[in-house]
Amino acid sequence: MIAQNFDYAAPGNLQEALSLLGNENAKVLAGGMSLIPLMKLRLASPEQLVDLGRIKELNYIKEDAGVLRIGATTTHFQIESSPVVRSRCPLLAEAASYIGDLQVRNMGTIGGSIAHADPAADYPASLFALEAKVSLVNAKGKRELPVADFFVDTFTTALEPGEIIREVIVPVEEQSTGTSYQKMLQPASGFAIVGVAARIRKSGGKIAMTRVGVTGLSGTPYRAANVEKAIEGTAGTADDIRKAVADIAKGLDPNSDLHASAAYRTQMARVYATRALTVAISRAS
Amino acid sequence: MKINGSYSVPAPAQRAYTLLQDPVILAKCMPGTDHLDRVAENEYDMKMKVIIASMGGLFSGKVRLADQNPPDSFKLIVEGSGKIGFLKGEGLLNLMAQGETTEVKYEGDVQVGGTIASVGQRLLDTTAKMIIKKFFQKFAEAAKG
Repeated sequence: MIAQNFDYAAPGNLQEALSLLGNENAKVLAGGMSLIPLMKLRLASPEQLVDLGRIKELNYIKEDAGVLRIGATTTHFQIESSPVVRSRCPLLAEAASYIGDLQVRNMGTIGGSIAHADPAADYPASLFALEAKVSLVNAKGKRELPVADFFVDTFTTALEPGEIIREVIVPVEEQSTGTSYQKMLQPASGFAIVGVAARIRKSGGKIAMTRVGVTGLSGTPYRAANVEKAIEGTAGTADDIRKAVADIAKGLDPNSDLHASAAYRTQMARVYATRALTVAISRAS
Repeated sequence: MKINGSYSVPAPAQRAYTLLQDPVILAKCMPGTDHLDRVAENEYDMKMKVIIASMGGLFSGKVRLADQNPPDSFKLIVEGSGKIGFLKGEGLLNLMAQGETTEVKYEGDVQVGGTIASVGQRLLDTTAKMIIKKFFQKFAEAAKG
């Protein structure tokens, strides 16, 4: 189908974009890999699109005092192929490489993806494991939120009307940290049925730090704190991992759809968490 | 699509039951709904504006209450349609008194049709859960004050 008529604006700088977004019926276009299909199906019919694609000041990857700052319109392919991201924050580059297909990765952007907040998107697992921050900006000023406060619910973020994502901030990883993102994908859409990101630091033969982020299993991505606690302090053997991942869905209401029932999804979360932890442990030194 | 779950409401059973039958309270708790228009005994017209992930818009339909058995249970029948699809659902709500609070258990079956059902299967379950959660969060607030 063809989308309903809409106005289109492609501002050249951030200020102009923010003033256009003063119109409450305007919608941000940041790659369009989710929004355009929805418009073509006429599931979404915004009156005006504000395309961020020409705003150069939103497309960057910068290293800055122990963190990487990634501009909102940086594409998945730029993240996946960036030497800086690959060496300084390999988990994010790995997650980006798993998104959709090459065409989607060439067009889709990190800001667009997290603003959409699809519960099966790939980035959130890594962003939770990385304890990333999201920087937001509106006409009046800017604010910075931990990723756990940014993702509010299914398809719901802390973004206010008139506000856009400026950048995503992830830590520069210590070289000794081991990370891995493992995903069970739905073959038609490429979305995660479940996806698990793990970060591991070792010290004296024991696991000193663990971070586990999960996507696809419940309505919002989350950090599996109980799995993290169960692994820390152990030697990280196969048996330690098996015990730790048993409760990955504890206290959650797992998603169920035609691709995977709640019980199957939960079991797959355990399997993919086991893989992610095993690889992360083997990569940590 | 089957839906079920339970929420704890900070009010005794009799009060929780009365509030759940009150069109003013229901309208306040249903996301994107301003008011319910009474068309017959226990039957209301509703207009709901929901936008999730930029999908949605205006839905219009009916809410009906049936099989009332105060303060233990009643049936809620909802029908609505909008540009992106329609839904028809029936749910049984069971209230269990637990002193000053009430456990509200719901169990129902919802049929969704139209474009959203043919292309959005993956989204229906999580979205339905979110809307129900929002309803009960607002309802818990309403029941408190």
